[in-house]
Amino acid sequence: MNEDTAAASAAQSRVGKKPDTSEPTVTAKRAPIIVCRKIVRSFWRAKERLDVLDELDLDIPEGSFEALMGPSGSGKTTLLNLIAGLDRPTAGTLTVAGTEVSAMGDAALAKWRSQTIGFVFQHFNLIPVLTALENVELPLLLTSLGSSERKKRAQIALRVVGLEDRMHHRPQQLSGGQEQRVGIARAIVHDPRIIVADEPTGELDRKSADDVLTLLERLNKEFDKTILMVTHDPAAAERATVVRKLDKGKLL
Amino acid sequence: MTLTSLSIKNIGHNWLRTILTVVGTAIAILSFVLIRTTLSAWEAGVDNAAQDRLSTIHRVTFVMPLPKRYFDEFNGARGRIDGVDVATFVNWVGHKHPVRETEFFATLAVDTATYFDVYPEMSVAPDRLAAWKENRQGAIIGEALAKQFGWSLGDEVTLLGTIYPGDWKYRIEGIYVATKKSVDRAQFLTHWSYLNDSLPEGQRDMIGWVASTVTDASRAADISAAIDTKFDDQDVQTRTMSEKALTMEFLGGASAILGALDIVSLVIMGIMMLILGNTIAMGVRERTHEYGVLLALGFRPKHIATFVVGEGLTIGLLGGGLGLLISYPLVEQGMGRWLEENMGAYFPYFSIPTSVAALALGMAVVLAGVAALVPAYSASKLDVITALRRIG
Repeated sequence: MNEDTAAASAAQSRVGKKPDTSEPTVTAKRAPIIVCRKIVRSFWRAKERLDVLDELDLDIPEGSFEALMGPSGSGKTTLLNLIAGLDRPTAGTLTVAGTEVSAMGDAALAKWRSQTIGFVFQHFNLIPVLTALENVELPLLLTSLGSSERKKRAQIALRVVGLEDRMHHRPQQLSGGQEQRVGIARAIVHDPRIIVADEPTGELDRKSADDVLTLLERLNKEFDKTILMVTHDPAAAERATVVRKLDKGKLL
Repeated sequence: MTLTSLSIKNIGHNWLRTILTVVGTAIAILSFVLIRTTLSAWEAGVDNAAQDRLSTIHRVTFVMPLPKRYFDEFNGARGRIDGVDVATFVNWVGHKHPVRETEFFATLAVDTATYFDVYPEMSVAPDRLAAWKENRQGAIIGEALAKQFGWSLGDEVTLLGTIYPGDWKYRIEGIYVATKKSVDRAQFLTHWSYLNDSLPEGQRDMIGWVASTVTDASRAADISAAIDTKFDDQDVQTRTMSEKALTMEFLGGASAILGALDIVSLVIMGIMMLILGNTIAMGVRERTHEYGVLLALGFRPKHIATFVVGEGLTIGLLGGGLGLLISYPLVEQGMGRWLEENMGAYFPYFSIPTSVAALALGMAVVLAGVAALVPAYSASKLDVITALRRIG
């Protein structure tokens, strides 16, 4: 058992789940964790209504790794924001992880996000005044965990992404690839069921991008995380188990 | 890491700006402390005035003299006033140093027999007191005045007369020390009899005011009225008041300046609050994207508002603390000592009152918190998606 596997086992046993490394892809056979029904998201520009998402239906099974592609303005990020609970649809119903998020209030939605969703951003979005460990610990501040337990979990998450030796470094002391791995550690530290990644390799060179995608694959396969990734990069999309294309607010 | 430590760490986003803001706050606090300490020192005489001591002056103004015979009716040769314990009299002489004319100090011609009985908070060695009483040209001076002009026991001193023209020669026979902080430690006390005998016949036997202690401080008002009634039907009427009231009357001319200083000190704090508010608002604008990230992670608007207010409070605390850290050595060791030694007549005791230090620190923290309220409110109203889109 190598160190990463040990870290993974530690992380899994902590959250009460068993790693499943034997089944590479199980997406098609499992129940959907994300269910969109006739989702409409409209914005108003001056007096003109713009339907960015137009009666979109979508089912994403639990444990899948899906890539969402499409030209700029096709509605990818808008859909991702809706699924992540950052926004609400204008019409339609959206059920994520068994909760109808389209009907939730702000406070409930924030709490739900903090428990259900892990975010990986294009620009990493680490807090510059905090160390890698403190950045990873951030989502746990919203839990009832004690200080030492929070720290321990953050260390495990950093071990999973291979950055345990950089835990006391600040973001400006890390490379872009390392920053994104810290971002991924932050996304998984609270053990969310779903990870949403908005152009996670957009700021990285090929080598770093491959490392990040490999890490996402691991999280999907070994930790059974459902991953929804918005990307323009065909090489990144190839790593997903399902690639969906969106254009003018509709799935192709 | 905790939510509180995260709030405090936020001040590290832009160290240069944080340091400049903290230093700016510290300077504002220093100014506030200096002004408030000056006001406090100025008013120390009033605050610490003896409760059992009365002053009897000419009814019109304290500048006009009283006949010396009035004193004899207090508890002297011509009579006694019920309730008066000990009385003495004083005459303002207004001498100046012949070279350093601009350096003010009080020169008083006093009744050597009774003066130190009425003012026991001015302590002088018994042998020096006796020597002073023996020498009609003797003088007792305050320790601060001795230090100011480098005078010591036995020195022959010539002062320049103003109210009473001419050169006035004295010999330093004693140096008094103050046992209460309200006492002017820079007085020059001479014999009234020496002054009186030196004046032309028509100007003799006049005194400035009578100071008397009463046996029961709670009866001070009644005794004051009794004194004034006693002289009602004489050629010069009197006005008797507590020492505190007289001191306030002395300071009355300066009340407008004191009031202005009071306002200036508050204006300084107001400016400090605006600077803090601007700095915090700039930080909030720059970190909009970061707040968006925190909101996405599940932090609530109340958390964001708390972070902003916490940052303001931290800066206020640091600025206030630094301001006091600078103020104490500057005032207690430097400026305060200099003022006491060189302007002891105005500032007999120049030291930062604990209440002023506490008020300064409290105001720095509270005003910083208030300054952060508007930026905190703005930050708490951020829309998560809009905030995430904002770069820089």
